[in-house]
Amino acid sequence: MKERIHTTDKQVVELATFYVGNSLCGMNILKVQEINKLMQMTKVPQAPDYVLGILNLRGQIVTIIDLGKKLGLGETDISNDPRNIIVNSTGGHVGLLVRQISDVVSADMAKLEKAPANMSGIQGEYFTGVYKTKQNLIGILDVDRVLRIDD
Amino acid sequence: MQIEDDEILQGFIEESLEHLADIENDLLAIEEAGANIDEDLVNKVFRAAHSIKGGAGFMGLTTIQELSHAMENVLGMIRSKKLVPNSDNINVLLLGADQLQRMVEDVQSSNDVDIQEHLTPLNAIAAGNPPPVSAAPVRGGKRASEPEPAPAQEPAPKPPPEMEAESEPEPEAEAVPEELVIDSQLDYEEDFDSEADARVIAPAMKRIPADAADNVKKQQKVETTIRVHVSLLDQLMTLAGELVLSRNQLLQTIGSDDFRNAEGVGQRIDLITSELQEAIMLTRMQPIGNVFNKFPRVVRDLSSKLKKNIDLTIVGKDVELDKTIIESINDPLTHLVRNSVDHGIETPAERKRLGKSEMGLVILKAYHEAGQVVIEISDDGKGLDGDALAASAVNKGLLTVEQAQIMSDKEKINLIFLPGFSTAKEVTDVSGRGVGMDVVKTNLDQLGGNVDIISEVGHGTTISIKLPLTLAIIPCQIIMMGGERYAIPQVNLEELLRIPASQVKERVERVGDAEVVRLRGNLLPLIRLADVIGVKRTFWDDSDKTLKEDRRELISDRRGMNSPHFRNNDQGTTVPDAQNSNRGERAAQDRRTSPASALNIVVVSTGAMKYGLIVDRLQDSEEIVIKPLGRHLQHCKGYAGATIMGDGRIALILDVANLARMARLTSIDGTDRAHEVAIAQEEAKRAQKDKQALLIFRNSETEQFGVPLNQVERIEKIKRSDIEDLGGKRVMQYREGSLSLVCVDDVASVQPLADQNDLLVIVFSIASQLIGLLAIGPIDAIEIATEIDGNTLRQSGIMGSVIIGKHTTMLVNVFEIVQTLHPEWFENREVFEIGKGQEESPPTILIAEDSNFFRNQVKGYMTEAGYNVIEGEDGQVAWEILQQNADIVSMVVTDIEMPNMNGFELTQIIRNDPRFSKMPVIALTTLAGEEDVAKGKAVGIDEYHIKLDKERLMACVHDYMKRMH
Repeated sequence: MKERIHTTDKQVVELATFYVGNSLCGMNILKVQEINKLMQMTKVPQAPDYVLGILNLRGQIVTIIDLGKKLGLGETDISNDPRNIIVNSTGGHVGLLVRQISDVVSADMAKLEKAPANMSGIQGEYFTGVYKTKQNLIGILDVDRVLRIDD
Repeated sequence: MQIEDDEILQGFIEESLEHLADIENDLLAIEEAGANIDEDLVNKVFRAAHSIKGGAGFMGLTTIQELSHAMENVLGMIRSKKLVPNSDNINVLLLGADQLQRMVEDVQSSNDVDIQEHLTPLNAIAAGNPPPVSAAPVRGGKRASEPEPAPAQEPAPKPPPEMEAESEPEPEAEAVPEELVIDSQLDYEEDFDSEADARVIAPAMKRIPADAADNVKKQQKVETTIRVHVSLLDQLMTLAGELVLSRNQLLQTIGSDDFRNAEGVGQRIDLITSELQEAIMLTRMQPIGNVFNKFPRVVRDLSSKLKKNIDLTIVGKDVELDKTIIESINDPLTHLVRNSVDHGIETPAERKRLGKSEMGLVILKAYHEAGQVVIEISDDGKGLDGDALAASAVNKGLLTVEQAQIMSDKEKINLIFLPGFSTAKEVTDVSGRGVGMDVVKTNLDQLGGNVDIISEVGHGTTISIKLPLTLAIIPCQIIMMGGERYAIPQVNLEELLRIPASQVKERVERVGDAEVVRLRGNLLPLIRLADVIGVKRTFWDDSDKTLKEDRRELISDRRGMNSPHFRNNDQGTTVPDAQNSNRGERAAQDRRTSPASALNIVVVSTGAMKYGLIVDRLQDSEEIVIKPLGRHLQHCKGYAGATIMGDGRIALILDVANLARMARLTSIDGTDRAHEVAIAQEEAKRAQKDKQALLIFRNSETEQFGVPLNQVERIEKIKRSDIEDLGGKRVMQYREGSLSLVCVDDVASVQPLADQNDLLVIVFSIASQLIGLLAIGPIDAIEIATEIDGNTLRQSGIMGSVIIGKHTTMLVNVFEIVQTLHPEWFENREVFEIGKGQEESPPTILIAEDSNFFRNQVKGYMTEAGYNVIEGEDGQVAWEILQQNADIVSMVVTDIEMPNMNGFELTQIIRNDPRFSKMPVIALTTLAGEEDVAKGKAVGIDEYHIKLDKERLMACVHDYMKRMH
C-alpha cells in the first residue's frame, strides 16, 4: 500500500468546489460533513463580524461563518439562497456560508500551483494554492487556516 | 524499560490508584486503632499492596514492585501482630503510599525513581528495627544523607507475574502464612495462569510504539473515565433499545399519514427521552466521599506539622453530586479545611488554657436540603473575630473606618471574602498567602453555589456551602431582547421587576451617566442589556403596546415585514436595511423622551454584586441544557453558552457576572453593603427621633388634615341625615346621648366640609366630654418622622403642617377648636390654676424638647395655664439651665429622644443630684412603648404623657404642682 502511493506520483484529491463571491474555491471533500441550505439562525451580538450567527444542527450548536466576509471577498447575500458547508474542525462543527455550490473535481495535488500574489483582493494566506482545470482556476482553501482564531 | 499493552497498563493504573486511595484512609484507621488491630482492615491494605506489587511485576515496573513489596512486608508484620502500628511506622507507610501514587501516575518514568529513602525505613521496620526517627512529614523530599543503602534483606523478587482484576477477597488473604513477610512465593502458585499470559505478551510489549506512552501521559491528570454500575448501564441499554423502536414506529407513522398513531408515538418518545435523560444524569452522579476521603490525611499531616490534636469527623459521604461539581469543589474545600486546621483550631496548650478539650474538632458534613447539596465545614476553634477582620480591612484600605463601624458582625465576618484579604497575622505555608478566601468564593460562585459563615469568637466557625446537584441542566428565566431570546440562570435571578409606564419617571433615576432604580430603599444599578451586548434598542415597549400584550402583537403586526418583530424570521438577519435602522433609532429616542413605557427589569446577583438588567420582555422559566459555543465565539464574554429551545431555535445563555464587567459595573460586596446599612440605619435613627402617629382625613376633597392618633377615641361612619341641627349646634345621637359635632372649617379658614352623604365622625374626649369632628375619607393611620412646621400654616384650629406622601397635611388642634366653639366647657378650668392664686410668682417649669414645634406647643399649654416656662432644646442644655436656675424650677418636662443627651440620661443626672432628687420629672413621648415606660421608671421618671394630649398632660402637671405646694 505504502509503496503504491509512493510509486504513483499522482496525489488525487477530490475537491468540493463552490463560489465565494465570484471566485471559485475548493477544499478537500473529506473535510466536508454536509452541505445545507441556510436554516434559521440566531444572531450573536458582539460576535466577530464574519460570524453570522449560530444554528441548531440536530442538537449541536454550529457557528456560521460568512466565508466571503472572512476572505475579504465581500459579504454573501443571504437572501439569494446561499449554501452552508458544514466542516469538521477541531473545536466542533463550523458552517461556512458560500454563494453557490459547484462540482466535485478530482485534482492531482502535484499540479497545485502557488497562489498568485495578486489574487483579486483575496488574502492569499487563506489559500494553499490554485488548481487549474480546463475551464477554471480553483483557489484551494486552507480550511484550518480559515477557522483559526485570530488574536 | 518495557512498555506494555496500552489497555492493560491503563487498567493497572486505574486499579492501583483506586487501591492507593483506599490505602491512605485505611492506614489512618489502623494507626488510630493502635495495638487493637482490626484484622479485616489490615488484610484489606495488605491485599491492596499485594495487588499493586503483582500488577507492577507483570508490567515490568520494578521500582513500583519493589516499594509495594517492602510495604507489604511491614503490613504483614502488623497483621501477624509482630508490629504494633504507631504514628511513626504508619507514617513511613503513608509516605511509601504517596510515592507509589506518584510513580503510578507517571508509570513511564517510574523505574527511574530513586525510592531508597522509602525502602530503607520500611526494611528497617521489617527487620525489627524502629525507623530512624521519623523522617516523617517531609513529603517527597529526598533525604540524600540516609546512610544505609537498601540492605538485601529481601530477595528482590523476580517479577512474580500476577494480574488481579479486583481486590476481591481471595482465598490467599486467609491463607497467607506469616513467612510471607520475607517471601512472595505464594504468588507463583496462585497465578500461574496470568504468568503464562505474561510470557506470551512480554515479547509483544517491546514493539508497542512510544506514542502509546504519550497517550497515557496525557490522560494522567484529568479523569477521563468514570465507574458506572452495571445495572445502570443495562437500564441505559434498554432505554436506547426502546428509543430505536419508537423511532421505527415514528418513521412508519410518518409514511402512513396516520395522525392518531403519531400522537401515541410522540408520547412514547417523550417518555423515553425523559427516562433516558434521568438515567444518563445518574451516571454523572458521584459520591462526595471521593473528595472527602482525602481529608483525613490532609488533616493528619497538617495537624502533626502544626503540633495540634485534631479529630476529623466526616458525615454524609454518600451524598451524590454531579461529576463536574465534585471535581471543582476539591480545591475550595481543601482550602477551607486547611484554614480550619491552621487558623481555626488553637494549639493544645491554648485550648487547655481556655478550658476546652485539647483535641480540636473539625467536622465535614454533606447533606441534601431543598434540592441543593449543603457542605459544612465546622470547627470548635477560636472563631472569627469580626472586629479584628474589620480593623484589618481598614488597615488594608479596603474599607473606611465609618463603614466598618456600622457593619454588623456578620458583615464583618464576610469581609474575609474581600479580594486581597488574609486573616493570618503571618503568612504560613499551610494556608495561603492572602489569595485564599476570595478565590474560594469566586470558584463556588462559578459553580452556582454560595458560601455562608457563622462564627462565634471562642466557640468556632461553621462555613456552609450550598451547591446545585448538577450543572448540566439548569432552570433559567427566558427573556426577549431585540427579537431574540436569552436565558438567565435561575441561580443568578433575584426577582423580576416591572415598572409601569406611569412610574418609570419617578423610580428610575439618573446618577451621572448611570441609571438606577430605587428598590425597597436601596439603589439598584441598571444595565440595558441592549447596550451591553451592542444591539439596537428596540421598541417593544411602545406606550400603546405595554398596556396590553395582545394589542402589542397586533400593532407590531401592522408594522409590516420590516418590523423588528420579524427581523429574525426573515433570513436577512444581518443586513439591516436603512429603513429598519432608522426606525430603531427613532424608537430609542421616543423611548428615552417618553416616560410612557414600562420597564422590565431582571434583578440579578452574582456573588459580589446585584444589578438590574433592562430587557424587552419577560417570558417563562424553563429547564435548559447548556451547550458550549463554538470557539469563534469564545471571546464573547457575555454568554455562558447556548441552549436549544422547544421550537428548535437557539437562545444564548447570559453570563451575569461578565455582563456586569462589560458594563463596567464594579462593586465590592462588603463596602457596598456597608453603605446600604449606613443609609438604612440613618433612616431608622431619623425615624426614631420624632415619630408621630397621625390619623389622616379630609374635610373638603382637596385638603388633607391630620390629628394625633392617640387623641382619637373612636371613628364612626354616619349618614348626613343623622346630623341634627338643634339650638344652633350640630349634634347626633351617640350611645344614648347627644354628641356635639364640630367641623374644622367652623374655626379654621379652610374649605368647607364636602357635600357628601357618607360622613365620618372622629370622636375625641376633651374636658371630660366627648366631641365629634366631622370629616370625610379616605382616612388612614400613618406614622410620620418628619419635622412638623409650626409656622407656615398656623392659624386658629390648625397647629401646623407636615408633608405626607406629597400632600401638605394640616394638623388640627382639636383643643383650640373645642375651646373656641365651646368655651363654656373650659370654665371650670380655674381649679387647676392654683399657682396663680396662692403664690406670688407662678411656678416655673423647665421643658426639654428638641423639636421646635412640640416645644412651642407644650410651652403654649403651660403659659396658658399660668406657669412660667424655661426651654432647653436638648437634654444637655436643659441640664445646664436647671443647674443655673436650681432654686426656681419646680418641675421638669422632658422629651425622650433628643440629641446630645436624651430624656433618660437627663432624668438620671437630675436624680443623681441631691438638690433635685425630689423634682417631678414628666416625660413626653410620641409613642409610649411599654419598654420605654419601664426604662423611664427605672431611671426615675414620674409620669409618661403623650405629647399632644394637652388635657392629660396639664391635669398631671397641676396635680404635681398641687402636691408640692
